[in-house]
Formats: sequence, C-alpha cells, structure tokens
Amino acid sequence: MDGLFRRGGAYVCRRCTQSLQKQQRRAYSAAAQPYLYDVVCVGGGPAGLSLLTALRTNPVTAHLRVALVEAQDLAKIKSWKLPPDRFSNRCSSLTPSSALFLDQIGAWKHLERDRFQAYQEMQVWDGVTGARIEFDWAPGSAPAAGTTIAYMNENLNLTSGLLKRLEELGGVSVFDNARVERIAYGEETEELDLREWPVVHLSGGQQLSARLLVGADGANSPVRSFAGIEARGWDYNRHGVVATLELEGEGWGRGLTKIAYQRFLPTGPVAMLPLPGNYSTLVWSTTPSNASLLKSLSAKDFIAMVNAAFRLSPTDLAYMHTQESGQAEEYSWRLEHTPFDHQAVPQTVVGVQEGSIASFPLKLRHADTYVAERVALVGDAAHTIHPLAGQGLNQGQGDVQSLAKTIEYAVSHGQDIGVTMSLEPYVSERYAANHVLLGVCDKLHKLYSVGSGPLVPLRSLGLTAVNALGPLKSLLMNQAAGNGIRVF
Amino acid sequence: MRPSLRHVTKSLRPARLSCRTSAAATQAIPDLQPSHHPSTRKLSTTPTRQHTPSSSSSVNETEVSHFSALASSWWDPYGPSKPLHLMNPLRHDFIQTCLSSSNPPQKTTNLRYLDVGCGGGIFAESAARLPSTASVTAIDPSPAILAVARAHARRDPSLVCGGGGSGKLVYLNETIESLALPEEAAPGEEEQRYDVVSLFEVVEHVDYPAAFLDRVGEFVRPGGWLVLSTIARTWTSWVTTNLVAEDILGVVPKGTHDWAKYVNEAELREYFAQKGGMWGTPTVRGVVYVPGLGWREVRGSEKVGNYFFGVQRVG
Repeated sequence: MDGLFRRGGAYVCRRCTQSLQKQQRRAYSAAAQPYLYDVVCVGGGPAGLSLLTALRTNPVTAHLRVALVEAQDLAKIKSWKLPPDRFSNRCSSLTPSSALFLDQIGAWKHLERDRFQAYQEMQVWDGVTGARIEFDWAPGSAPAAGTTIAYMNENLNLTSGLLKRLEELGGVSVFDNARVERIAYGEETEELDLREWPVVHLSGGQQLSARLLVGADGANSPVRSFAGIEARGWDYNRHGVVATLELEGEGWGRGLTKIAYQRFLPTGPVAMLPLPGNYSTLVWSTTPSNASLLKSLSAKDFIAMVNAAFRLSPTDLAYMHTQESGQAEEYSWRLEHTPFDHQAVPQTVVGVQEGSIASFPLKLRHADTYVAERVALVGDAAHTIHPLAGQGLNQGQGDVQSLAKTIEYAVSHGQDIGVTMSLEPYVSERYAANHVLLGVCDKLHKLYSVGSGPLVPLRSLGLTAVNALGPLKSLLMNQAAGNGIRVF
Repeated sequence: MRPSLRHVTKSLRPARLSCRTSAAATQAIPDLQPSHHPSTRKLSTTPTRQHTPSSSSSVNETEVSHFSALASSWWDPYGPSKPLHLMNPLRHDFIQTCLSSSNPPQKTTNLRYLDVGCGGGIFAESAARLPSTASVTAIDPSPAILAVARAHARRDPSLVCGGGGSGKLVYLNETIESLALPEEAAPGEEEQRYDVVSLFEVVEHVDYPAAFLDRVGEFVRPGGWLVLSTIARTWTSWVTTNLVAEDILGVVPKGTHDWAKYVNEAELREYFAQKGGMWGTPTVRGVVYVPGLGWREVRGSEKVGNYFFGVQRVG
C-alpha cells in the first residue's frame, strides 16, 4: 500500500515532524521519537476506512496528517475478487442513508455494482403464531428518495471499495500487517509536552503519536481498553449461522423487486436476504448446539434445514435438530403435511456455496462513553448489536459521519481535535440514538425467544396491528431505510 | 436606537446611562439598581492622546492578581473557565462574519492576529491553529497566566515549533501601552499592523476603556478589524453574571466581574462613531449562556448581556 503514503503534513507542524522523523531514522531501534499524527485510526474495517475517507475527502480536514493501523494485508483486501457466481458469507445491509454517505465521500462508485442487491420489501413473521407483517410500499406511501429499504452487500466489497477510494485520495500513512503491541502516553521534552498524547507502538517497531486516537478496532477494542472505557452488555447464548445460498429463481418479484425475509423462531430469528441473481445470504440466530449441528451437516441436509426453517412448525424443526443426519428426507416428508403459502416464504433453496457455512457468537455491548481525552471509539468498538435488524454496520457509518462532522467543526474553529471538549458533540449526537436501537433489537430478540405463554398471543397481536396500520408501517419502513424520520 | 437611551455626548465624557433604560428585560423591576454600584460608566477619564508606554497602562492590578490566581484552572474545560471554552467557537464564527462583510473586501488568508488580554490562550491557540492564520501575537499583563499559556501551548506541536517561537503563536508579557506599535507601512512595504485585533472579555476589566481603545485601534491596519466581546451593564447582567453566576451557581469565580465596569453596546457605538471616520459601521451580535446547552446567539440580546462587537478600520 505504498501508494497511500503521503509526504507532507500541515496541521502538525511540518518542521517538527520532519525533524522528529529524521531523528527516528537516525536511531530507529533505540529510544526513537514517535511520528506525529493528527489522527491515528486503529482498525481498517468499514468504520475506520470510512472515517479516513471522509476526512480526506472534506477540504476542511484534508490537511490533517492521518495514519491507519491494520493487522491484515490491505493490498489483498483492495484487490479482492470473486467470480460472479460466488459471494462472501459476510454480508451486511446498507441503508440508503449509509449509501448516501458513502456516495458523498466518493466511495460508492468504487463498489462492484453487480455484487450488491437492493431490496424493496420485507416479510417478517412469527414462527409460532404465523402473525405477519408485510413491509411493502402501499400505493402513494413510497418516499421520494426511492423504495429501496436497504442494499445487501458483501463486507469485502465495501472495504475493497473504500481502499480504492483512499488510494485515489492518497495522503494516508498506512501501517498494515501491523500488530498493536501496546499503547502508552507520550513524553515531555524540552520543546514539547506530549504526556497526554497516546503513542501506538507497532510490532514493526514504529511509534505513532496521536492527537486523536480512533478506535475502529472491533468489539475487543484495544483502544477502548487503553482509554479505560468499560463496555457493558451480555451474551445472548446464541450463534449467528451464515451461508451463501442458491435459490431456484430470482425471487417472487422476478428480479424486479427483491424481498428480505425474516421469521422469528423461539431459538432466534432466521433471515434470508437477497443477493444478485438467484443468490441469497442467510443469517440464522440459534442456540450454540443447533449452530454446531448445522455446520456439521451435509450440503443436502443443511439446505433442507434452511427450507424447513422458513416453512415447518417450530416443533418439527426442533425434532430435526436432534437428527445427526437425514434431514433432507425428513423435510420432504414433513413438508407434505404442512400447509403454507409458497409466495409468502422465500423461494426454495437448491444449493449452498461450499465453505460458506460459518457461525459467530451474538452479543450486546455498549461502551460507557465513546470518547476520552484524545480517544474516540466508532463502530463495533463502541457497540455490538444483535444482527436481527441489520443495523450494525449502519450504526458504525452513522458514528463515522458524526465524528467526521465533529472533527470538521473543531478544525474550522481552531479547536484541538483531540480534547474531550471538541469530541463531545459526537457523543451527544450518537450515544442516545445507538442506545435506543441496541435496546429495541435486544427487546425484539427477547420477545420472540418465548415459545409459549401469555407473551405469544400478545406479540402476534402487536405484529398484526402494525400490519393493519398503514401509516405506522410506513413510518417503520422509513426508519429501516434511514429516510430521515427518526423514531429512535 | 431606543428613544429612552440617553446619548453619550462626547466620547471622552462619562457616559450617563441608567441600567433601568437599558433593556426590556429590566422593566419588571423599575428604579432598582444595585446600591453598591455606580450607575454611570466612564468610558475614559481625561483625554490622553499621547501614550508613553512606560508610564501609562490600562491594566488594573486587582484584576491582574484575580486572574493570576485562576491561572491553574484556566485550561480545565470543566472548571471555572468553562463558559470561555464554550464561547470560543462563537468568537471564530463572529470574526468570519466580520471578515466576510469587509468593505472593500479584504484578504481572508495569511491573517495576522493580535490578541490583547489573551489570558491562558484559549482564543490565541485556536486562532493559531486555523489554516488561514499567518501568526498570532498574544499579550497579557499577568506573568503567571502567561506561564500557563506557554506551558499549555507546548502540548500542541502545531503551535510551538522547537520552543524558539518559530511557530505561529507568540506570547508576550506586555500591555497594549508597552507593546511597540508597528510603523505605518510605506508604499510597497509589507504591512506590519494587524488584520485582526481581538479583545475578548477584556474591556469590562479595564479602568479607562476609551483611552485603552484609542491605543488598541492604532494596531489595526486600515481595512483590518477590531473585534471584542463584553457584557452590557444592565440589571439582567448584574443578576446573571454577578449574583447568579458568581454568588449562587458559582460557575464563574467570585470577583471575576465588576458590574460597574461593564460597557454597553450603545456606548461602544458612540465611541467608534466619534473617531472621525476611522471606523466603519459596527457589527454586533448578542449571545446568551444557557447552562447545560452553552452559548446561543439571540437577536437583540446585546442590549441585555454578553455580546460581540466588531468594527472595521476604514480610515
């Protein structure tokens, strides 16, 4: 990634930096002076890359000296390529507001257009009672911004696109294949007092001094630990099973409209989200034992389980989870005795991409705050959400957009972008909004984890009522699509 | 101009302004004045057009010792100077408003600032960080506060380069009287006077503001701006800044404000209008501090409390 390296800087005095870098070159292994940066971003995922792209794109912040630290080889991610009939199993939905932001920072055009899929409808139903809500646009209710609820996109398509945009912009000092050994505070010299500046020590020996250290380093954020910010929450004792699926067709909308499906089962929601052509991506939240069984099955039996998950009763499914194999036969027999509306569930799955079945534990975490002196957290480092609403990546994009705006304001008013006071607008804009969304998804998960009892008819009543109330449904859909009506 | 406002006759005469007439907000409590404060404000004493820097000073020793005692907490954004920290971005917005209204238009980059009464350097540091700034000269009479300002600037490599003053920001322990006045630039020579001279929360701490402003004005280059912020001398401001802020809430250290020294916006207008075409029409913006929310611009509030005042040197 040498192409991304920049030479001069402006916000950190050029002469200081140059003289310090000279010293560093002279005594590299000894007590080397650190490089000085305005922003050091740890983590080259969607959040970190979007932040740097936003800062480099905006003329107000483009002069900041910025560095990126990433453990993986970014050159490999940038040149990521898959054949058109293969899709990565790690996909995320991007709301139109996230897409708009990515367009504003010049990254959207670098995504592979034929690899992400817009969808215009959502079908959500209760696996126990069958109560259903159809999120389709009633005539006249479609917003002017378009009927797209979200885009399903491979995470690698996004990171690769962002890296291409960053390369086009230039001016980022990239330290990839680099492990953060430790983070400590700087020192006081005769000329400078950097005792409040975090210094990132890399496995390669480099030291990066940060006016503002951004933790975009995921749920186990080392930056968050350094700042002493606690992340609280709980594990759901559920795993998310993902896979890339091949369907018998392009969907009931014949490719013109695409539909996302989600069925709430007592073990957790199972969702099938459309990818281009006959492909879809699966996110099935279930118990760890169910998840390990699903991963152990043959392709034929796995496909049967996925089809069953959208069609059979929870009792049938529970039984099939006890079988070590033979689900395909069991499914075709049980299906004959289960009446359902074909067009109300996804088209039949006929294939699963080899090697695409994987799982990860689900949890909820929320950091106590997003900022400390010279530290800001974005994305998963700040919060981890249940995937049932597909909001995780979008929350991160919202964080980045807000933090970039906060930095822009600080720079244009001569504030030190690292001090807590400058960063406070970011926290006040994002914390409560994220907290409500985390809570809503958490409550939804818990509400639908109940298989019987008084909650079950009540929640069905809720879904049916929402379905009947057109205006409320439009409001919810606009919220999901990020069309600006802020319920949360 | 409100009809009830008694006009200041000559700029160098004491302005006789009753707080009762100064603001709509005070009408609920007519004829009341804080008994321990005089109701008039001298914008200056005797006319002193010739300043001999060594012998005269605008500086009040009590004020200097008060602020010196606050030095250690100056940079604590959650300490006694919090309102100043919160106000700082608004100062830049106000300066931008002034600069963009320059007539004729003036340069907006490579600007030279003189910050008078810089304190711990909240404004001076921020001005020095702006890409449009060429240099900031910041002066203050208190050595204790300047020590804090210099120490704080060392935390930012963009401000102080090599410690030898080669950065954009220079602190000087000077008063406006002792600071050498740059010579008028001869044709073809580079202008040494300043594009922006700032007096933030200063005039209310000065004993003889007219003489002080006379001297300050000489440092502004023709076409440049003198910008200041201060507090109107009204019943409301006495209640909010002295009684509530200092005595009741304690958000501002006790003894920070001497209400009798506050300067009203109309008095400043009058002062600048009397200077024989040296200054343009002032730009004024009133701001109100809302605890928990920070500063908000409120139209018309310059008559009541805190306000920004900017005036371009045209002659």
